[in-house]
Amino acid sequence: MSDDKPSPLPPATLDDPHLQPATKHPQRMQNLAILAMVIGMVGFVAFIVVYWINASNQWEAGTLALGMLGLGVGTIAWGKYLMPQGPFVEERHDFHSSEPERAAFNAAITGRGGLEVKRRGLLLGVFGVAGGIMTLAFLVPGIRSLGPKPAKSDDNQGSTDDSLFTTNWKKGARLTTVDGRQVMVDDLEVGGVLTVFPRGYEGSSPDQVILIRLAQLGPNDPPYPIAPPGKTSFGVQGYVAYSKLCTHLGCPVGLYQERTQQLVCPCHQSIFNVNAGAIPEFGPAPRPLPQLPITVDATGQMRANGGFDQAVGPGFWERP
Amino acid sequence: MSTNHRRSIAARIAAPAALVGVVAVFGFVAFSSGSAQADTTTTVPVTESTVAGAQPGTVQAVPTAVTAEPSASATAKADSAPNQSGIYYTDLPAAFIKPGQALFATNCSSCHGGEANGKAGVAPNLQGLGAGTVDFWVSTGRMPLANTSVQAIRKPPRFDRIQTLEIAAYVQSLTPGQGTQVPVVRTAGADLENGNTLFTLNCAACHTISGAGDALAEGAYAPSLHLATPTQVVEAIRSGPGNMPHFGPGNITDTQARDIAAYVTGVLQHPDNAGGAGLGGIGPVGEGFVGLLIGVGLLMLVCFWIGDRA
Amino acid sequence: MIDKSLNWIDDRLGVAKGGRSFLDKIFPDHWSFMLGEIALYSFVVLLGTGVFLTLYYVPSAHEIVYHGSYVPLRGQKVSEAYASTVGLSFDVRSGLLMRQAHHWAADIFLGAIAVHMARVFFTGAFRKPRELNWVVGVTMLILGIVNGFLGYSLPDDLVSGTGIRIAYSIIESIPLVGSYVGFFLFGGNYPGTGVIIPRFFIIHVLIVPAILVGLLAAHLGLLVKQKHTQFPGKGKTEKNVVGSPMFPTFMAKTTGFLFMTAAVIFGLGGFAQINPIWQFGQYEPYQISYAVQPDWYMGWLDGALRIMPSWEWVGFGHTIPLEVFLPAVIFPGLIFNILLVWPLIEWYKTKDSNYHNLLDRPRDRPKRTAAGVAMLTLLFAVFFASSTDVMANFFQLPLMDVLWFFRFFVPLAPIVAYFIAFKICHEMRDAENIGQRKRALIVSRTTEGEYVTTASAPRPGDSHEELEAIPVPTFIDTTDPELATAAGVRRVIR
Repeated sequence: MSDDKPSPLPPATLDDPHLQPATKHPQRMQNLAILAMVIGMVGFVAFIVVYWINASNQWEAGTLALGMLGLGVGTIAWGKYLMPQGPFVEERHDFHSSEPERAAFNAAITGRGGLEVKRRGLLLGVFGVAGGIMTLAFLVPGIRSLGPKPAKSDDNQGSTDDSLFTTNWKKGARLTTVDGRQVMVDDLEVGGVLTVFPRGYEGSSPDQVILIRLAQLGPNDPPYPIAPPGKTSFGVQGYVAYSKLCTHLGCPVGLYQERTQQLVCPCHQSIFNVNAGAIPEFGPAPRPLPQLPITVDATGQMRANGGFDQAVGPGFWERP
Repeated sequence: MSTNHRRSIAARIAAPAALVGVVAVFGFVAFSSGSAQADTTTTVPVTESTVAGAQPGTVQAVPTAVTAEPSASATAKADSAPNQSGIYYTDLPAAFIKPGQALFATNCSSCHGGEANGKAGVAPNLQGLGAGTVDFWVSTGRMPLANTSVQAIRKPPRFDRIQTLEIAAYVQSLTPGQGTQVPVVRTAGADLENGNTLFTLNCAACHTISGAGDALAEGAYAPSLHLATPTQVVEAIRSGPGNMPHFGPGNITDTQARDIAAYVTGVLQHPDNAGGAGLGGIGPVGEGFVGLLIGVGLLMLVCFWIGDRA
Repeated sequence: MIDKSLNWIDDRLGVAKGGRSFLDKIFPDHWSFMLGEIALYSFVVLLGTGVFLTLYYVPSAHEIVYHGSYVPLRGQKVSEAYASTVGLSFDVRSGLLMRQAHHWAADIFLGAIAVHMARVFFTGAFRKPRELNWVVGVTMLILGIVNGFLGYSLPDDLVSGTGIRIAYSIIESIPLVGSYVGFFLFGGNYPGTGVIIPRFFIIHVLIVPAILVGLLAAHLGLLVKQKHTQFPGKGKTEKNVVGSPMFPTFMAKTTGFLFMTAAVIFGLGGFAQINPIWQFGQYEPYQISYAVQPDWYMGWLDGALRIMPSWEWVGFGHTIPLEVFLPAVIFPGLIFNILLVWPLIEWYKTKDSNYHNLLDRPRDRPKRTAAGVAMLTLLFAVFFASSTDVMANFFQLPLMDVLWFFRFFVPLAPIVAYFIAFKICHEMRDAENIGQRKRALIVSRTTEGEYVTTASAPRPGDSHEELEAIPVPTFIDTTDPELATAAGVRRVIR
């Protein structure tokens, strides 16, 4: 888009090679274009019909795509074979301004004004600082109102959502399935696995625990040995319970391999050794799954024997 | 005709033809997609839309699983009365034990020993596992197994249904009353929504949400569920084959197991792929390939048609 | 009639002069210059199908009981977002088509940006004066990836919900501010108070598309002002543009391309299924499926997360989960920053401040080409690494072996690719007659038994006869008495 006009060119004539269709058979191409667009029309009409009779997704898409295809082929054939291809040339003019124009622009910015020009630096500086603080003033509510601060403990009006460090597992909490059923000590067979929550918090994400039965042991049998960093005393009668939140990125570690006694996280394939405190043997998870101490009460109900001794889930800055 | 001219004719035919061809292929695949037909007792329609006869059909593959449930009326004696759970367990007839022993001796004892008590490092002790466990392994063709160093895969079963039950009856007879029994599963009237929920919570972590199966640690893998029968589903739930956990009645009740079986065989094996070709049921991996190779690829062909070469 | 209408408009807007030069604009015709249009037109389809979807989708995590037509979900407690998306799929006519077309359009949009960006990179079209346009383009890529992630997370299904959980943990891993940002964004500890769905929604349908439209306008405006680049060739110089005119030729072709893009997108939308969310089920944070990957344009991050060793830094009462922070924050940050400042990097290495309107052949800049190939190899390698479990299952290999393979392949393959690409560039430049049409070789045998080849003479029609480029004619004289008939132009063409 240039201002300096060259002298008007003499009109081109129709037999100019630059204006000729780019095909030896322009009539054929014209027919192709028209045929394609007619097929397009048919496609679109068919789409309306197919929609009306509520045919399947495939019919809707097929007819609509046919319509689009027809129009597309038609217009492309029209443009490529019938319209002038040239080649035509256009000059690139330097679009940067000339030196005097630049000088004039700069002079307007830096030189326009009397006394004020000398004071401008100071005034601009003050304005800039004020503007920066104004931006901050808007950012503060914009960001801070979004949500609560991460709390250290779970003492925010009973809401369980605000603590990264504690869960709702406490001593005596009943192990409950997601549909509210109390877990009894005889429920799982050896090699059985179950997702449990503390009573009253079924479905709560930080509280999800995976309960595994490793052996059929009675109350008077010696406990099932769990190697460190797990704790034998945290298990009971062959049961062992771990937080189901993967310590890598928080996916539920729901995949239990019974023969090899490993928990595998389905997201990024971290492998945890259930016999050894769910220590990660492979994969990106950095820490073992925290173990929940469990016990069986006098009526055979399974209960927690305390909370977790560390924060569950993935790592974060404040985690000690 | 110059090379150039020939090429441009070829190009302006090739691109749209390729486009139409691919669309046609997809249409064919979409209309014929669906998992292989397994023998289900009922196929539950999963969508109640009034689509006018244009649902994708299913391909009738030769069922590789056994084609008859153990008929309760003919040969079996119901052990527990049929109840609302939809599953009842059978005692296999005593007449099965002797032929079962013969079959076992010929086909199984070389690894599992004459009394099915196993050989260290070769094959496990089958005593106490129950008829249902044996039925699962044999009816899915996993047993007899040639190569014990890799996980057994589902294959066409070596024995027919009666023979399988005979072998199972024999192994059960070695330790009567112990282990998983052979279930009779009635999927009619199952609660599909319940089965859906239970499957997602208990099974999807290994078998994937679409039942396609995936690789596990230590060279193991969770198999695809697309050929399982309701009986096999319940047997697997109860007996926990291989690396699969054991889900006893205290964890998954009979009703729940029946619902899961109905969901697997009724819904997962006949997925409502209303959207078109299922692309393997493995989610975004398949979509990525299709989107890039076919989507962007076709459009690049169109660019070739419209534009010049340098 | 046309004259009268144009006069009416020009009386009020004065557009004839500028309009004429706009219509005369020249577009070079090379096929690779159209790749950006794939992105542009898939964006148009995104907007159209997106508007349709917003009329039905409910951006709420509030739980209701599902009563739609998909039987296995009936009676289940699901979020309104999930229920409305399942409703779109089964209970809204053409809803599934629009939903799937929207998803495919997004996949193709980002794929097209990738190939377009590669073309711009390998031909050096980002050099002065187009550095700004490059930055605008890379910004659109980043925003497109983000918007895609937000979009496929809106249905609140099991697979995309898992992705949201992972995103939360990635945010959490940022030192100092991570837990704060996570709590602010989600309204608390994961899963938060349910605000994430409506927040994702408004960012996805309003904030990012508005920015994208603005950037797109800037991208195209810069293109119009600076004019398109072109490959060197007959009559093509740094000071001109040779090709076909905007009106009518380019407009016809590009309109056709819009329809072709729509055809492919709607075709895929009907015949290739995406995200069968009715099968995935409502997202619950204690449920998971195996074989879960993000959409392909996020796959490279997933792959990086999988192969990263489990290094976590713990000290002085704090934790920095490097196994998350490095692959999911630092790695993409590095990649995007390198992309953004690439014109600066190239200027630093070449000290070249000239205008460049003619493009390079990739083989003529071996270092840049090799660097680009290395980057692409890295991204492909880490992209394939996100499907380790699917690959292990498909090829019947142990899972750990596949992971270890990628741990070595991802850092080593780009280095090898660099050297191979570098070598190939040099070999190509040294080849005789490179870039010219191949001649047939005549093989003859001497009397001693030696075989000798000689190139044949150019065949008629082999030499690419090109016309001399002329400026777009102001007027075309249709009054030649020999040619003029009532049918006018058509007679000439016949």
